[in-house]
Amino acid sequence: MRPRVSDVRLVGIKKSFGDNVIVKGVDLDVTPGEFLVMVGPSGCGKTTLLRIIAGLEQADAGDIFIGGKNMNTVPPRERDVGMVFQSYALYPHMTVKENMAFGLELRKLPRAEIDGRVAEAARMLELGPLLDRKPKALSGGQRQRVAMGRVIVRRPKLFLFDEPLSNLDTALRVQMRGELARLHRTLGVTMLYVTHDQVEAMTLATRVAVFNKGVLQQLGAPLELYHRPTNTFVATFLGSPSMNLVDARREGANFVGKGFSLPAVGDAQGEVKLGLRPQDLRVGAKGPLQGEVEAVERLGFDGYAFLKTAAGPIAARFEGADVHVGQTLWVEPQGEVLHVFTADGTKALHHPETRGAKA
Amino acid sequence: MNRTLSRWKLFALHAGLSLLCAATLYPVLWVIKLALSPTQTLSMSANPFPEAVTLDHFRDVLGSTDAQGRWLFGRQLLSSLVVSGATTLVGLTLAVTAAYALSRFRFPGKQSGMQLLLVTQMFPATLMLVPLYSILQKLNLLDSIGGLVLVYATSSLPFCVWMLKGYFDTIPRELEEAAIMDGASPGQVFIKVVLPLARPALAVTALFSFMQAWNEFILAATLLNDTTRFTLPVALQRYVGEYKTEWGHFAAGALIISAPVMALFFALQKFLVGGLTAGAVKG
Amino acid sequence: MLFLALLSASIALADAPVLKLWHGYRGGEEQAIEQAAKAFTALTGTQVELLAVPYDALSSKLTSAIPHEAGPDVFIFAHERLRQFHRMKIVAPSVALDRSKYLAPAVDALELDGTLYGYPLSIKCLALFLREDRGFAAPTTTAELERLLTQAADPSKNQFGLAYEAGDFYFHAPIFFGFGGVLFKPDGRSQFDTPAMTSSMKWVKSLQDRKLMPQEVSGALVKTLFNENRAAVVISGPWFTGEIDPGVPYSIHPLPIVSDTGLPMAPFLGVEAAFVSSRTRQPELAQAFAKFLSLGDATVTRVTLGRQIPAELAAYENEVVAKDQMITAFRAVAERGTPTPNTLEMARVWEPMKLALRAVLQGGVAPEDAGALADRRYRALNREAPPTTSPLPWIIGIVIGLLAFVGYQLRAGRGTSFARRFPEAGRGLLYVAPAATGLFVLVIIPFVIGLSLSLFHHDAGDYTFVGLANFTDILTSKGYRITEPLSFYFTLVVTLVWTLANVVLHVSIGLFLAILLKDPLLKLRGVYRVLLIVPWAVPNYITAMMWKGMFHQQFGAINAILGHLGVEPVSWFTHWTTSFAANVITNTWLGFPFMMVVSLGALQSIPTDLYEAAEVDGASKWTQFRRITLPLLKPALLPAVILGSVWTFNMFNIIYLVSGGEPGGGTDILVSEAYRWAFQRNEQYGFAAAYSVLIFFVLFAWSQVTKRLSGAEPA
Repeated sequence: MRPRVSDVRLVGIKKSFGDNVIVKGVDLDVTPGEFLVMVGPSGCGKTTLLRIIAGLEQADAGDIFIGGKNMNTVPPRERDVGMVFQSYALYPHMTVKENMAFGLELRKLPRAEIDGRVAEAARMLELGPLLDRKPKALSGGQRQRVAMGRVIVRRPKLFLFDEPLSNLDTALRVQMRGELARLHRTLGVTMLYVTHDQVEAMTLATRVAVFNKGVLQQLGAPLELYHRPTNTFVATFLGSPSMNLVDARREGANFVGKGFSLPAVGDAQGEVKLGLRPQDLRVGAKGPLQGEVEAVERLGFDGYAFLKTAAGPIAARFEGADVHVGQTLWVEPQGEVLHVFTADGTKALHHPETRGAKA
Repeated sequence: MNRTLSRWKLFALHAGLSLLCAATLYPVLWVIKLALSPTQTLSMSANPFPEAVTLDHFRDVLGSTDAQGRWLFGRQLLSSLVVSGATTLVGLTLAVTAAYALSRFRFPGKQSGMQLLLVTQMFPATLMLVPLYSILQKLNLLDSIGGLVLVYATSSLPFCVWMLKGYFDTIPRELEEAAIMDGASPGQVFIKVVLPLARPALAVTALFSFMQAWNEFILAATLLNDTTRFTLPVALQRYVGEYKTEWGHFAAGALIISAPVMALFFALQKFLVGGLTAGAVKG
Repeated sequence: MLFLALLSASIALADAPVLKLWHGYRGGEEQAIEQAAKAFTALTGTQVELLAVPYDALSSKLTSAIPHEAGPDVFIFAHERLRQFHRMKIVAPSVALDRSKYLAPAVDALELDGTLYGYPLSIKCLALFLREDRGFAAPTTTAELERLLTQAADPSKNQFGLAYEAGDFYFHAPIFFGFGGVLFKPDGRSQFDTPAMTSSMKWVKSLQDRKLMPQEVSGALVKTLFNENRAAVVISGPWFTGEIDPGVPYSIHPLPIVSDTGLPMAPFLGVEAAFVSSRTRQPELAQAFAKFLSLGDATVTRVTLGRQIPAELAAYENEVVAKDQMITAFRAVAERGTPTPNTLEMARVWEPMKLALRAVLQGGVAPEDAGALADRRYRALNREAPPTTSPLPWIIGIVIGLLAFVGYQLRAGRGTSFARRFPEAGRGLLYVAPAATGLFVLVIIPFVIGLSLSLFHHDAGDYTFVGLANFTDILTSKGYRITEPLSFYFTLVVTLVWTLANVVLHVSIGLFLAILLKDPLLKLRGVYRVLLIVPWAVPNYITAMMWKGMFHQQFGAINAILGHLGVEPVSWFTHWTTSFAANVITNTWLGFPFMMVVSLGALQSIPTDLYEAAEVDGASKWTQFRRITLPLLKPALLPAVILGSVWTFNMFNIIYLVSGGEPGGGTDILVSEAYRWAFQRNEQYGFAAAYSVLIFFVLFAWSQVTKRLSGAEPA
């Protein structure tokens, strides 16, 4: 069966609640069949944007196109979109089966068709034995799957997810992430996914849209965003631990900051902000930056050390070495790794060459 | 928390509860005794069980007829049922829609309207009787069951609206949004999702509306002028004279009137706890 | 749709040619009037619809229904309200009355300024009932009566000589007149502080002190004492013959002459008449029907079946009637009687007199001071109408206020467009509209009218604008001391104590039971819960009547139980504390289940691990209750407490039906006081409305306080 897919185009979307401006003019193109993750801290407007696409909120200004049609005033049920809510929003008074069938019954589909679709979705999501239970009698992961099943049976052109995994524990979240990815592959429909968790963004997305304070910061493939963040917000938001930022000034061939000096890259002059991924730094007995170890996060053989340096806190990777809290150690960049931003962090001036493997 | 009460404590608990139940039920037993005893007067006795049993009082009350030989009790029972049933229906319909709007939508005058609802509850109802009478006359609703139903339904509205609004507030909006995404129209959202979820509160509100209409007698006695359309409490009032109370008839009538309300009450009591407190506990 | 159908059904009945008759009869009298009506139908072909309304409710029903064209064509009432009915323009003069056909005092009673209203049906007055089997001769003077009573009474055997409802002025009136009392001064006003008042009170009190008659006599007690031969003499009216057990020999005599004055004890003569409504659509027919009821066969039916003392002279010639001992005896008594004055002033005498009588008989006030007490109450109840003022400043003020409000709203809304501020306004208002319309018409308008009534003075249908006079009278306690039950402040304190006592009891009992019932593993938990909410399901006026009966001094279960415990019977309603306690007990019984259910719900929502944590921390049960249970119950319990306090504050039924404000209005709360001003004290609607507005202010202030307390929206 050829998947029904749809593209989404947002033009100059604005939304405010009272004096509180939530979305400050967003343009966004979603290509058919892609898995677009909208990510950002809470209150950045990503959920509001999703709800505007769903039709649950009216934008104050701007246009929404789904499948090429202007949807500004089209009610949700005619937009042919499905949505999975953060709290799942399962109807507590209906069984799993009734929950899934509800949307189809409202569309007055024939009984056999409804049963067929529910059975298919149940098989896909392994919900078969649970069909006659009420949501109260389900575990978190099961409820999550029912919420997805409810959307799947309707076969919409566009799936919307509003932080669907945030109420699950870590193990389940990993599992469900996998299932979601599988689902996207199987169904091939356009999916729009809102989360504040950058790991979900990085693992699931074909493209990621990073939002902050109602503004779209950057849109692109996950790795592109990781390697070429357009500003310090994106740079620090993606990647764990976050990118280290230090203030520096160009002095000749070097970037000089408090207690350090690094060879300069690019043509940036004057005051700048330097970005260093912890993954690109090594803790050792020598290096341009010196600091006292304040915390250690050991993942096994290797891990990260968090140091207090004159330039500010710095996280860096270590391997095997005997790193303890209280030690004074050095940090050394592994090759040409400097990201350079303007001093206010709003614009990237230079990114290191992308290397193939990122260990 | 105390899963293992000692045997003595358990015994004391049961003894205490039984005693309290007995104290609570004593007045009721006393009325039952009056209703079953052959006299019309009170008798000096602490024993709550009748010494002699007769159903005469019940027979008199149930079998009362008027001058034309019409079965008065039957008509009054019907009248009571119609009034209470219609009050519940009308009151609940009005309250549910209003409470839903107050819980979900923003519109001008909402806050002051809610305050006004509360405020009217503080003005003694008996004093509204005089103006109410004139208004009903203007509407041509005096001495009519319809008028009585409207008055009951509106007078219990503030309480019903407040209670239902409190409950609606506890129903997550996401459920409604999920239904919208599922393709439900606003009406379908309301009927297929919100109302079934509000069942405990609906049951309790319906119970209170019904009880209020079933038990009320001052308004009914003032507004109704036809014996065959009297509600039962008004009929009961007749047994309580200024100089003489027919205690036997009164007691029998009181039991007959209380019985349906009690039955409803017990049938719906499992909703009482949730329906009454959900708004306050969760909100 | 349903009520439209009901509506049309009620209209359909209107056009048939029928006469409506309203009356307050029960039992034999009701049967007699029904039979007489049937006879009229047989004679003229006109259908008659009868409506029996309890006598105490009939008058207010008449005065509200007839001016609104919803009343009867003919109604039967005692003549003493005639002046009031006339002022309210609800009675029509009788066009076909032949004076000579009736007992003279009966016709006199129906005369107002030379015009006659109504057709006299029967007379009622008090007489002396004597048990024949005791061998006493009928006393003709009070000296003889006292001698008889001393012989008949035997306090050791709980035997009395005389029984009558001494606390009621209707029964005391003949004694008052016998001692030379005069009810009205030449100017038409009353004056109670007279020697006659004192001596009549002294005489009654001495009978009671010598145990010749019992204390606190109710109608039921009179009946029991006479039937059980524990009272040889009873003072009562014709209705008492129906109360006497068959086989008890008795005779009926005129009341004796007071030996000190030589004056006869002259009872009030009540004349019941068939009045024609001023608003009847068939005046000729109604007049004919009323006349028909008062004469001939109808009279005979009323006498033989209804045991009435006829007003028609010819009836006494009837051979059945002439042989009837009771009827002829009462006729003899009636000839001595004076018709109860049909003036407006008369209606204002009862409450002060009752107050004074009860105060003396209960021993709280000396007979010498009774008159002064009654006078004070009389003056307080009969407030002079406050001076009329112009409503113009008020109207201007209201208009300016409204304009300012509208202006403010418009300003507040400026800047943002309406649709932006309220995107859902259309739907919201649509949903609210039906309820809002109903509320507006049937709650808000009456509420606003109720509020504005407080600025008016009402007298027999006429309203005059008096500004804030009602409020100043109430708040300055005009006409009575602040410490008297009639004062607003006294009643306010009683109301507050009443509310506080009830809420505290409701919550503590409810919470206590909820804690006992909380454990889900408790056996029979459901049964206990069901049994304990029974009081909630009982209609509260039934509860009130039930407890009123249980608190009955002579026949109540409470005193019976106390008797088993060796406690003397308590006279519940003669002392403020016991009377108040009776009210509180009744209302506590009625109200604790609500709090229990709310507490149960709230308790169930407290997670048990909190207690487990506290247990680990070593907290005692009491500490757990104080530090965990109470704070966590607060959000659920507080709205219930607020609601409960408002309900209790306005709990009219219990106060009115259980203690009835006894003693002397002391246990009345603000609502019942407002009710009395509106419906029992010459319909002073304006004054009552002012009371209601003050109640409203008190509750409003309370709601603002609680809003602070709960820190959230009140529920």
